Amino acid sequence: MEPITVYLLVLVCIIIGGILSSLAVHLMPVGGAPAAMATATGIATGCVMLMTGAAVTGLFTASTVASFWVTNPNVILVALSGAVGSMLMMGFTMFVGNLIYIFGAGIVPCSGRVAVDPITKESQTEYKTPRTDGHGVPTVSFVSGILGGFSGGFGGALIYVMLVSDSYAHFSVATAGIVAMGIFIANAIIAAYNIGGTIEGFHDPKFKARIRTGLTCSLIVSALCGVIVVIAMLTGTLVGGVM
Amino acid sequence: MGEEEAKQAKQEEKEEKAKPKEKFKLSFDYFNESRLGILALIIGVLIAIFPGLPAFIKGIGIMIVFAWGADSVRKTARYGLGTGVPSIGVLALGFGIVGGITGIAVASMRFGTLEVLGGKVEIAFGVLAGVVLLALLGFVSGNLANGDKFINMKIPGLERGMTELGIAGTLAVLIETSIVAGTYDPARVLPNVINNGLIAAIFIISAFGMLQPYNTCLGADERRARTLLMSIEIGGIASIILGIATTLTLSAVQGVPLIVLGAVVWVVFYRAYMKACMDEAYATPGTGLIKTLGG
Amino acid sequence: MPVISLFAWMLVIAFLAFIACMFEDLESDIGSQSNPNSQVQLAPEMGYIHRYFNKAISGEGLSYALSCTIAGTIAMLMLLKLEPMLAAKDMSLGYAAVLAIPVGAAVGSLVHMVRSSVCHVGREAAHKRFEQPIYLDVFYGHLLPIATHNFMAVICITAIAYIQCNLGILSGVTGASNPFPLPLLCLIWGLTVGAIGSSTGDIHYGTEREFQDKPFGEGRRVVYHGQICRYGDCGIRTSKDVAAFCAKYGGPATGLAFGLIVLFENWRTVIGMLLGDLAGPAWNPSIAAAGGIGIGIGIAIVLIILARTLEKWARNKYGPFVGE
Repeated sequence: MEPITVYLLVLVCIIIGGILSSLAVHLMPVGGAPAAMATATGIATGCVMLMTGAAVTGLFTASTVASFWVTNPNVILVALSGAVGSMLMMGFTMFVGNLIYIFGAGIVPCSGRVAVDPITKESQTEYKTPRTDGHGVPTVSFVSGILGGFSGGFGGALIYVMLVSDSYAHFSVATAGIVAMGIFIANAIIAAYNIGGTIEGFHDPKFKARIRTGLTCSLIVSALCGVIVVIAMLTGTLVGGVM
Repeated sequence: MGEEEAKQAKQEEKEEKAKPKEKFKLSFDYFNESRLGILALIIGVLIAIFPGLPAFIKGIGIMIVFAWGADSVRKTARYGLGTGVPSIGVLALGFGIVGGITGIAVASMRFGTLEVLGGKVEIAFGVLAGVVLLALLGFVSGNLANGDKFINMKIPGLERGMTELGIAGTLAVLIETSIVAGTYDPARVLPNVINNGLIAAIFIISAFGMLQPYNTCLGADERRARTLLMSIEIGGIASIILGIATTLTLSAVQGVPLIVLGAVVWVVFYRAYMKACMDEAYATPGTGLIKTLGG
Repeated sequence: MPVISLFAWMLVIAFLAFIACMFEDLESDIGSQSNPNSQVQLAPEMGYIHRYFNKAISGEGLSYALSCTIAGTIAMLMLLKLEPMLAAKDMSLGYAAVLAIPVGAAVGSLVHMVRSSVCHVGREAAHKRFEQPIYLDVFYGHLLPIATHNFMAVICITAIAYIQCNLGILSGVTGASNPFPLPLLCLIWGLTVGAIGSSTGDIHYGTEREFQDKPFGEGRRVVYHGQICRYGDCGIRTSKDVAAFCAKYGGPATGLAFGLIVLFENWRTVIGMLLGDLAGPAWNPSIAAAGGIGIGIGIAIVLIILARTLEKWARNKYGPFVGE
């Protein structure tokens, strides 16, 4: 493959990976500190922690699957594996979270931002504790979280496999892993600033209002990160050995 | 006439006594945020471009860079980021990893490193490429985060803060890599720092050096000097861990002084921090019941 | 035979994961950390003096990433030194791991204990104007439980990472190891374990234990924030009393979450590898990867259905909110 095509492909894939990471942050239902006190809908943790946790699980699965091939791993399959790994992590976390809300605190999962759940078409307001902003993880937030996990895992694993593959950047495994983590973290934190720390999912009015800004910012940041990584590739000195 | 003059002279004397000339006291308060930043930038860049320095000196360098990073985090996070203080510290290191790897790559090109004094001393100008690129990335991110048409967080000084964090993160990664590997040559850096996983330790302990001080001292009566004591204390722990790694990868001559430096710095600054907190707390009773609120 | 030992190691990893995350959640309850700690931080500002251990290192994900990565680094450095010596004497490499993993975990826990100690004094010193004292018995009495619970979690995570990066040698199936080095795997699992513990176990601590005097069966309204329960069974409550309560539900549930994740991750990867004829002549990586993906999507669909059923059950059983 022509060198210039390789560099362009790596740059484009880093941009796509970055945009998907930012999209993931907007899709995941994050309740922040209030959700741990059942005052807000969503997963009861901070945005940065949850998203980094999901992404690195996806990265782990992607690295295992990428090592099936001796050289030149199949980019789409590895990225999908990362996506599914991250998706399962989000799914189990939200499921057990709901178990604790329902049986440990006696709460019905319901949304605080919409009156009717868009997927199940069930009413939410009469199940919500007054003077709270919803609690638990209702079905629409659950599905939104699954999609968010899929997207984030895909993005992180895509960056990883482009950096580790022999036919593209050909970094060593650990270099590719930590650089993918670095680019993912940069995008995800800027997206977290965009949503202001908490969001309920794709049904939240905040999603529609902020998604365009978020994706634009992540496009710019990922493009710059991609250019920097391509400069590192140009020097040709970080080439790793056999995976 | 003589009386008036005498009165005037007396008044001037009194004024001089009342306002003693402000002597130049070299206390920590001299290093306000800008001066600390300039000092840390100069020292950090100097230490980063001379990978042949003894590990002992580089250890002092990372402590100053940690203090600079923690100061930047403190400056930006006090206005409320929405996602919490740790996020911006981890962002600094996320940038730092990308910048550090690029810096090492550029430094290992032929024009990236000068060898003077018959090949004994290396001057790795190439790492500055990573630092400059990351300063640019930090500046752009800051403008995106604060810009009217973008995220619009309205935090004063966010652009400057993120630029500083981009530079501080990159310098931290570069200096710590050169501590463990002794040079920026990928033939030594890749097996000794990255491929054996030490870069993960570098990432997380540097992130902690920058994010923990302000996060831990957060509160109404937070004091800057006390907060920055902790960043140097974390630098001490980082020196101990890197010193152990250096003893195994480079030599005991480089590694053991770094471990001793880390241990001494940690003990001194930990005690200073604890003493400052205990003295400045409301009360430190051995035990006791809590103040009740009238039932 | 090698494939059976692969499954056996998978089960060991899943078991260690269960224990790790359970202790992670209990440790974050003993030293109040992460999300519910915002209430412990808020209480003195509203006048409610407490005797909790206010440990605000950072989010749980990062704090566990720190202790696990340091444990992994020390373990890796010890293995670097010990394994060549054992190989030269033709002894099993297991002797090195048996020494390296606990020593690394001990160092990681010590660092974690030091990080927690500075947090409590720092946060309470910054509460000077609200007249919150630093009770020295709270300070000294919680450090050791924090260190010991953290040690349990960290040693399990380090063991998981060690097994995963040496799975090829341990099970005899070449190509089953994860290519990441040990400290990087510890960072990954430390971040994950912290993220999961923060998302699940914190609910039990924050909603139930912290506001135990508020009615069961409702969310904690914003007006209650800061009014945490400061009195215990006998006298004033400390953070050690919290762990005993959360160990009944929150801790094991958190362990279950991580254990299930690790179990299903590894299980579907191994099933995929078998479908692609692992350890056989017709090794087809694409089928192995696709098999794993397919099973994963199937599990996700089952999870969505289960979540929907659970939510429907709760809505029918509990009914709309009663009261004001």
